[in-house]
Amino acid sequence: MDVSYPELVREAVMAVFNETGLTPNDIDGVVSGTMPSMMEGIALTHFYFADAMQAAGKPIMKTETCGSTGVSIAHTAYYWVASGMADLVLAVGHEKMNEGNSQATMTTVAEPFYQRYFISGAPGVFSMQSQMWMDRYNIPEEKIRDAAAFISVTHHDSAFDNPYAHIKMRVTMDEVKNARIITYPVRLLDVCPNSDGACAVIFASRDMVKKLGRKPAWVKGVGYRGEEYFFGDSDKVVWESAIQAAKQAYDQAGIKNPRKELDVAEVYNPFTFQEMLFYECFGFCEPGESPDLVLKGTFSRKGELPCDPSGGTLCTNPIGATGLIRVAEAALQVTGKAGDHQIPKAKLALSHAMGGVDQFNGIMILGSKL
Amino acid sequence: MAKQVAIVAVAQNAGAESKDNFYDQAYAVTKEVLDKAGMTRDEIGTVVSASSDVFHGGISCANSYYWETTGAFLKNASRQDGESLFALFYGAMRIMTGHYDTALVIGLCKGSENPPNDTCTLMYADPFYQRGVGLTETMAAAFQMRLYMERYGITAEQCAKVAVKNLGNGLRNPYAHKKGRYTVDDILGSERLIDPLTALQVAPKSEGMVALILASAKKAKEIAGKPVWIKGFGSSLDNYYLGDRDLLNGQLKNAADRAYKMAGITDPQKKIDVAEITEPYAFQELLWYEGLGFCGKGEGGRLIDSGFTGMNGQIPVNPSGGVLANNPYVSRGLQRVVEAVLQIRGEAGERQVPKTVKTALAHGTHGYAGQCHAVAILGR
Repeated sequence: MDVSYPELVREAVMAVFNETGLTPNDIDGVVSGTMPSMMEGIALTHFYFADAMQAAGKPIMKTETCGSTGVSIAHTAYYWVASGMADLVLAVGHEKMNEGNSQATMTTVAEPFYQRYFISGAPGVFSMQSQMWMDRYNIPEEKIRDAAAFISVTHHDSAFDNPYAHIKMRVTMDEVKNARIITYPVRLLDVCPNSDGACAVIFASRDMVKKLGRKPAWVKGVGYRGEEYFFGDSDKVVWESAIQAAKQAYDQAGIKNPRKELDVAEVYNPFTFQEMLFYECFGFCEPGESPDLVLKGTFSRKGELPCDPSGGTLCTNPIGATGLIRVAEAALQVTGKAGDHQIPKAKLALSHAMGGVDQFNGIMILGSKL
Repeated sequence: MAKQVAIVAVAQNAGAESKDNFYDQAYAVTKEVLDKAGMTRDEIGTVVSASSDVFHGGISCANSYYWETTGAFLKNASRQDGESLFALFYGAMRIMTGHYDTALVIGLCKGSENPPNDTCTLMYADPFYQRGVGLTETMAAAFQMRLYMERYGITAEQCAKVAVKNLGNGLRNPYAHKKGRYTVDDILGSERLIDPLTALQVAPKSEGMVALILASAKKAKEIAGKPVWIKGFGSSLDNYYLGDRDLLNGQLKNAADRAYKMAGITDPQKKIDVAEITEPYAFQELLWYEGLGFCGKGEGGRLIDSGFTGMNGQIPVNPSGGVLANNPYVSRGLQRVVEAVLQIRGEAGERQVPKTVKTALAHGTHGYAGQCHAVAILGR
């Protein structure tokens, strides 16, 4: 909050140059993206941030896919390099949410004639989805509530180990379960904050990696799927966009049993309930099984497949950057640079973002080995 | 760039206000381009669209809205914002990685449902210093035009000739929105918008859904028709503040040089057979001639005087009427590509240029005084 929007972008971009020892002159192209202009108060932000991104004189791409923008930026940078058209691409995601109105903006994503009145902001959609999921598998409400509270408590704890996390507060199970209702069954501590943030990641070709002599995180799999605009048109429990996006990435990475083979996952989790649904769609467990496993600690920091050791989206959500932050966190994990929230010996990591009217899912899998 | 990615089918709709809604318009061009390629939606590998929230009639996250009507349901698809040529580049890149052998690329803009162009371009201005004074694309263009006239002695008449040519060419383009037989005096005598720009030198606000199918070399052989190859592409972004830039020495040269290099073109003046360029303000066509290397610095005025860029000239520029005749803001770059493809195939109807077209150039620009440029080179 202490810096202007261009300064926020510049901080992240300069940090990635300092970290890598590269300079803007080395960069062959820049990919930028945010949420829609209503959120930003400014349209087509690649113009405004041309200087902050050190992008003047560079080829540019502007990728936007709503909430999944961050991961879509990473995908664009990946395809750019993988096409052979560039050796070094700078990916930049950014959002300064305390200056805008995120819920008002997200209300304008919904269809204006029939749905906008019912689906105000983000929680409406995600709450309906949670209810649908609970109902489909006859999961006792108390169990789901406990599991969601457990996720909130553990992620808020993890945020203390992440220097870039926004919300740092200790919460108890009781506090989560008794927090103010946002949209039933979602309560305040089940929901992400409005954050300011920017994230910059440099993608390099194999030849360039050799030249740089740095230990990289290799892109192993890239998946993305989108589904219908009208909320009622698709099943959000057996959620095809999430299932198929993960499958595409797993197939590329040669992953058959994700829970066993992945070492860590950065799942886009603006809502605790939804995080559990993602576990199921991504094949981390069977449908309806996730609350039990959450409560057993399967997805905790010391569990079989630690999810969101950074504290995740639940603790930090500058939306246009958030998906790219998931990718960056996965990269830090597989290169052993995640500091206090490092998962020991992490070699294969999944990153994910979701967007639209519960509509888009994007996955990028990173590994320590090519 | 050797023959790696081909454009195998194109479709566009007309620029005038239409009673058809966004969905129907987007669906119509998507279906048309699939039919032309003899393909079904299921056979398409990936979809890349281009649109812009600020030009999207009050709905945010434009791609959420039109996802399934553009054939992207349960596909790996993505979206570019602001400039539809980016979507062409991205679609081509996706094919070049080997992950996909076909891509549907679509630009979407329903101008009749949007606020005036400059209400939208005002939103590019930083909110603290520039928006308050009303900086828009038209105002930035007026600054640029005045500078161009003063530095190089470009005359108002030379600028007006661009509008005479393009609005005249538009008469032969059934998709063109604004067209007519005008004289230089008509152009200069039209309403003065922001000095020195007059109304007929400024592009309209149009509808424009534009769709293309790209295919890998192998796939292109299987699809009937005349493939047009993407030979090269490039883009470049300039600094943000107008005062930090030389408005007559912008990034178009960079973008064009990148595209020429990829296409192996060292002498564009000789190698380019026809060009479709984005000239939302008449004088910009002259300035862009220079950036594209069709003439030297300050020579854009003389080039149009010589007839070099007329319908019968050596490089006809904007035989479709260009953006002065049809301006679906985000889609306009991709629309230039469609026109270039039609010229190469010899399928441009009454606006077909009277010469053999082997290599064509398509150009897009958006932002104040051309802050961003993108160029594609297409060929047989």
